[in-house]
Amino acid sequence: MGVESLITLEFLITSLAITVRIAPTILFASLGEVIAEKSGVVNLGTEGVMLITAFTAFYISFQTGQPFMGLLTAMAVGVVMGLVHTLLTVYLGLNQVVVGLGIWIFGFGLPDILYRILFRDVSSPVVSVIPETPIPLLSNIPVLGPILFRHNILVYAALACIPLTWFLINHTKLGLRIVAAGENPKAAHSAGVNVLRTRMVAVVLGSLLASLSGAYFTVAFLRSYITNITFGRGFIAVAMVYFGNWSPVRLLLPLLLYNFVDSIQTILQTADIGVRYYVLNMLPFLTIIALMPVFARRARPPTALMKPFR
Amino acid sequence: MNLPKFFRISAINLGAAGVGLGLGLVIVLATGSDIGLALSTLLLAPVSDLYNIGEVLVWFTALLVISEGIGLGIRAGIWNVGAEGQFLIGSIFNLMTWKYLSPYLPTPLLPPVMILGGIAGGAFWALVPAVIRSRFGGNEIVVTLLLNLVAVSVMWWALDGPIRGRFSAGYPLSDVLPQDLRMPILIEGTRLSASLILAIAAAAVFYILMERTYFGLKVRAVGLNPEAARTSGISVEWTLFKAMIISGAAAGLAGALHIMGVLYRMDAGYAETGFGYISIAVAMLGGAHPLGVALSSLFFGYIMIGAQNMQRMIQIPFPLVYAVIGCILISLTVVQRTLRRVS
Repeated sequence: MGVESLITLEFLITSLAITVRIAPTILFASLGEVIAEKSGVVNLGTEGVMLITAFTAFYISFQTGQPFMGLLTAMAVGVVMGLVHTLLTVYLGLNQVVVGLGIWIFGFGLPDILYRILFRDVSSPVVSVIPETPIPLLSNIPVLGPILFRHNILVYAALACIPLTWFLINHTKLGLRIVAAGENPKAAHSAGVNVLRTRMVAVVLGSLLASLSGAYFTVAFLRSYITNITFGRGFIAVAMVYFGNWSPVRLLLPLLLYNFVDSIQTILQTADIGVRYYVLNMLPFLTIIALMPVFARRARPPTALMKPFR
Repeated sequence: MNLPKFFRISAINLGAAGVGLGLGLVIVLATGSDIGLALSTLLLAPVSDLYNIGEVLVWFTALLVISEGIGLGIRAGIWNVGAEGQFLIGSIFNLMTWKYLSPYLPTPLLPPVMILGGIAGGAFWALVPAVIRSRFGGNEIVVTLLLNLVAVSVMWWALDGPIRGRFSAGYPLSDVLPQDLRMPILIEGTRLSASLILAIAAAAVFYILMERTYFGLKVRAVGLNPEAARTSGISVEWTLFKAMIISGAAAGLAGALHIMGVLYRMDAGYAETGFGYISIAVAMLGGAHPLGVALSSLFFGYIMIGAQNMQRMIQIPFPLVYAVIGCILISLTVVQRTLRRVS
């Protein structure tokens, strides 16, 4: 089969639908990272949070048969991990890079140990996933319907989180405090803002959102658990924050671009067009690495990013 | 460097590593394994026979070279978390150099050229993050991490094309190095080869570079305070660039040494050593100082072989070491911070 026979409207619709369907694996985490970084804390542990919550959601839904129970438990674990990160980086003022890498490597190891022990007697366990909820009427629109309106509820939730995060940061009291804590913590402190507590709220909120991305892998997407299930998407979520110049709205374009390339290469892998899978596998990463200088040139991080306040 | 300070830091870091290991043991306990048996396997198995001692030193060799490079990066204020990928690309370049230059070069010349190939591969894989960090002020952590994932795909490509073995029969395997290109084995019955000696020599070079040259001084100055370094006439960008490239070159060298001294070939499992990731913790535990890094490489080599034995003999999953490494990294920063507060 040649490449040209693939370039049809149907192919485009399918790949765009997959683009939207896999968006939550990065989008939640990326928005959470925006909130955390706006307050001055980089959470490189996002990947670790996602790995652990992906497993948590998987285990709980396997035990209860309820994907939403898995999701809720994963969120609770996300909050706990956010609190741990806060304790270390905000209250103890430790190096955010080291703590983040530590949480990542910890999260890389732990789920595999638990999987091997908890599923010792189960061969290839799978869970039921959160069902699709097509939106009435809208899902029948040609082209746009299948791309945007025939997904599970978490996809809509992820997309809705973009304006919500924007509103939180730009138009609420908490958002004002978060930005102040990230831009000029000393001034914020003088103005009566509790910088440490604000950062705690931001990091925990970010970690909670990351847990949704993590849980999405198992309870809404893959149905089973594999080693290193997130495959670097937690780090891509962090990269997207730079690309979007710390704006929850502007990160959407690079994020969708990445997912689009990824969905095309996934489809091409199954289509057998004579290009080997390892070449296709590289494409999404190469796309965003190539874009990095373009976006990084304009990027202006929050002034107090990675600087502990005491 | 004065010895009392060195010993004090070593004691502190060893304490932190102990805390991390303790947390790992808690996990072992939670999984319902026999804690006494686990502990004795972890501590005794690596020195139980000659083969295991050799394995500890095989790990030491790889970790030492890679983490010296990462340590140099840390001193300059760079986080090279891409050593895993640089190690892979270095190994691929090493094998490619052999495959494409062996018809033209006499055999005695080939090993040094192959080592240079590995170094070039690692440096090449550090080029993009080096440019992004020094030229565009971008974030090197994310780029290097993503390039690790790309490197794995490159390895699959290389095993299917440039370095595919003649008798691989469709499997992802390279050819095996002939006897006269392998590093001589140091102890009969182990996998320990002369690559250990080259690794120690490389570490010595790093020591001299960091502690006894003007370049080392510049690296440290840039890492401590880039603005002050700039004011005193140091080109911060150029120093960062060179530090990142050297860091990558070290990981590439480790790849060459691992191929020529230990495995003699590359297969699909080559991407799963984890050397590059573990070396981040090694460099941290060693305080990013060339001597500290050497001690910490030995410590981690020991732990790794202990963990491998734990998996083989008493079925404690190997990924436990990753959980432990995470704990060590965090407890290390906690302990260092607490002591700084106290003093």
